Amino acid sequence: MRHLSEQELVEYYYSNDRDRGSIAQHVRDCAQCGASYSAIHADLSDLGKFDVPLREPEYGRRVWDSLADSLPARPTPRTFWLRPDLWRVLAYASVAATLLAATFYAGRMWEHAKAPVASTKTPASAPTPKSVVVVVLSDHLDRTERLLVELKHTGADDSDMLSPLRDEARNLLPANRICQREAKKSDDPDLENALAALDRLLTRLAEQPGGLNPAEVTRLQKQMDADGLLFEVRVLRSRMPATEQVTKTPSGGGKI
Amino acid sequence: MVSMDKLDYVSIRAVLSGDKNAYGALVARHSHRLFRVAYRITGNEADAEEVVQEAFFRGYRKLEVFASRANFGTWIYRIAVRCALDKIANRKLDESSQIANEDDPERHAVQVADTAAGPERILLSGEIGALQQMAMQGLTPTERIAFVLRHFEDQGTDEIARALGIAPNSAKQAVYRAVQKLRQRLAVLRVKA
Repeated sequence: MRHLSEQELVEYYYSNDRDRGSIAQHVRDCAQCGASYSAIHADLSDLGKFDVPLREPEYGRRVWDSLADSLPARPTPRTFWLRPDLWRVLAYASVAATLLAATFYAGRMWEHAKAPVASTKTPASAPTPKSVVVVVLSDHLDRTERLLVELKHTGADDSDMLSPLRDEARNLLPANRICQREAKKSDDPDLENALAALDRLLTRLAEQPGGLNPAEVTRLQKQMDADGLLFEVRVLRSRMPATEQVTKTPSGGGKI
Repeated sequence: MVSMDKLDYVSIRAVLSGDKNAYGALVARHSHRLFRVAYRITGNEADAEEVVQEAFFRGYRKLEVFASRANFGTWIYRIAVRCALDKIANRKLDESSQIANEDDPERHAVQVADTAAGPERILLSGEIGALQQMAMQGLTPTERIAFVLRHFEDQGTDEIARALGIAPNSAKQAVYRAVQKLRQRLAVLRVKA
């Protein structure tokens, strides 16, 4: 076995008994290593005489007395609700909840914003109440025009036409009054005036219990001409696309 | 009989609950051991007492950190070793600064001799402890502490490494270098004697 180095012998000096096996044997067998170890042992043993001055038994108390005033008072432990980490966690949780709610709300708003676009792009879908009113008014004006044309061309000899004209007037009268009401709401004076004049004519036509006589037809024709009703109805029919923008939704308008 | 660990634990809980005076019991129980290691490292009673106070002061401020550790004695001991390391490192810096500021080389030599105490004077007085202390002044702070912990405090390599904050192998090397230097220094002194 090779000779042990000084470092190995120093480590051997400080090692525990269980680690000394083969090295202890070598130190015993090898004169050179044994001499080296003896020298190290002697030197280190001499260093073991380093005495420490004794402190009095009250030394610990003295240290505390000189230290106590310089130590800051410790804060008493906080209760559960006053713990700063708890409030930090709650703050993070509330911020997260707010973000979640804002995201949900923004999503709902986005859906609402997209909905009208979708309905205008799909005309085949169910019509809105406003479009129902437009259709009803258009249909009413169409039927009214036909009635007025027939009334205009009814002569004294056409007695067989008088009862159907009266019946049609009675059918048109309720629809005309609903359209009048909606015209008032939509602030459309032209439509309102025309429907009012039409209401007077239809009322007189409908209120002939014994049927129309030629004299009455002539008088109604004059009234119609005086009010320019046929012209007004045709104008209103031509305006129908523009009227769509101002006509309001009647409740139950679709049943007219 | 209640163990010291149990007593320490009770005191620590009391301190952490706001009872500052409970720390006094910990100081009283561990002061002697801390003074012993501090003196062996610094070689000076006044410095050792300062180290003890500084160690307990640092320990008090970091007591929450300790709360989850096992042994207060080991923990405060390591703090004391670090404080002692700071103390002798600062002392060496001060000495170097004094020497560097001195222009007269002759006076410089005298100053160094005064600091380390002359070997003849030490040998004449027969104070073997003072002779050892003079030999230890030639060690670096790390070597000195590694040697003190190994030789006088009977600490293992791992504990020395933890106390100094270095790797175990570095701790082993530091002990060996310290032994080498001390043996050389003491051999010269013996020859002169």
